Amino acid sequence: MRRFGHILLAATGLSVCAMALAVDYRVETLAEGLEHPWSLAFLPGDGMLVTERAGRLRLIEADGALREAPIAGVPEVFVGGQAGLFEVALAPDHADSGLVYLSYACGTLAANTTCLDRARLDGQRLVERETLFRAVPDKQGRSHYGGRLTFLPDDTLVLGLGDGFDYREQAQNPANHLGSLVRLNLDGSVPDDNPFVDDSEARAELYSIGHRNIQGIVFDTTRSELLIHEHGPRGGDELNRIIPGANYGWPLVTHGVDYTGARVTPFTELPGFESPLLHWTPSIAPSGMTLYDGKAFPEWRGDLFVSALVARQVHRLIREDGEIVGQEALFTELGERIRDVRTGPDGALYLLTDSAKGRVLRVVPPSPP
Amino acid sequence: MTNRWQPLVAYVAAVLDATLLGSIVQTQFNLAALSALGAEISFTTRLATTGHDLLGFTPLYGSLIAIMMLGAMPAASVVTRWLGSGAWLIHALAAALGLWVTLWIVDTLAPMPTLIAATRSLEGTLAMMATAALGGWGYAILAYFDWDGASG
Repeated sequence: MRRFGHILLAATGLSVCAMALAVDYRVETLAEGLEHPWSLAFLPGDGMLVTERAGRLRLIEADGALREAPIAGVPEVFVGGQAGLFEVALAPDHADSGLVYLSYACGTLAANTTCLDRARLDGQRLVERETLFRAVPDKQGRSHYGGRLTFLPDDTLVLGLGDGFDYREQAQNPANHLGSLVRLNLDGSVPDDNPFVDDSEARAELYSIGHRNIQGIVFDTTRSELLIHEHGPRGGDELNRIIPGANYGWPLVTHGVDYTGARVTPFTELPGFESPLLHWTPSIAPSGMTLYDGKAFPEWRGDLFVSALVARQVHRLIREDGEIVGQEALFTELGERIRDVRTGPDGALYLLTDSAKGRVLRVVPPSPP
Repeated sequence: MTNRWQPLVAYVAAVLDATLLGSIVQTQFNLAALSALGAEISFTTRLATTGHDLLGFTPLYGSLIAIMMLGAMPAASVVTRWLGSGAWLIHALAAALGLWVTLWIVDTLAPMPTLIAATRSLEGTLAMMATAALGGWGYAILAYFDWDGASG
């Protein structure tokens, strides 16, 4: 019955949106000319950091001006296809420490993986940079790196990873990091209470396995829930509630089929594997996610916002008591691939458009309250 | 049957042959990968998945095979005429090699490393090439068969 509910929600979600109250908004362009912007972080004092997939970290000043020169000191990034510079995230104590975290593709076309660095932002440049984590093993190709991260209240962080596309069966292998969510202490060490630490054949960093390509992570502090979304193949994009140590089934279970039309698996569910809270079939290619807790749009508070590449919109996942009761497609009028969505400290919603001349957009109420 | 239509009939049959066999084989490789992960695949499930792929996989794969055969079979016919014998073997090899080249081009152009999952391994690639070879072999049988002599 629960499964039927999920499918029903997936099938009817967009029709539910017709019942949702439309919220008026205005979209402002804050910055433009960014090469495939991927991630956004809000600095104390109204500035912002933006990553470009091409390997640059850019600063948007407090007055909204995009500083011409990229921030120096970023790691050497493997760029190509889906590979590049991914997430930028400020350490929870950034105001005091100045520390930032960067995830990126590292290595070469023949041998690459996802890396996580930490450095101190010293005005114009990153200093004291160190690599905290490098997913194993290296792989060939330029696909499926994951790269999103978020901090948990217990002074740890979780980093989403991908299966490398050609290595999908390895998402079931706890002896590597492919297709997993990893949890680290803020210095990159392994938390003692990680679910696989006592398994000598598993990687101690693993927090959950059986993922295809994690692209959005949110921790709901109100409900103490860790939520992620991941790309399916053709269909089967998933929103999952993370249980430490759980297996989310890829590639043994999925609602999607391969890009060729062939079945990846005949199973949409099997015992021992967590089912998604919902799946998007056909795919929307979810790319980022935020839990809106701002004051600018009271009707949106508590809802999840999922940016989408293929669908060229943002999905508002309407929640009641943590349960998703409907979906609303937003910002379709932009007609652009949306790489990321964030809740700003000012209560505005921020979007990154995915193109060679990508933009940072700010969604605000139509007129000042 | 007239000689005029014989190559066309052979071509269509070869494309169908290679496409359907290729689809069936790639399904078995995909299911084998799941079995290796511990999944139990019943005969009914195997049959249903194979059937699904015959509908879902063949449009794309059949297009690739059709394009490949358009180049590979005439080339094989030229070589056959030049050598004066060995039509069956030459056409089978041409189709197998043609598929290998096609896969290489597709994987080079497509954003993902390997489009067809079954061809991620050498065994899978060779198996798919074998199905293409059967298509080429079928082409040679039909294209070089003396229909008038057989019927007379």
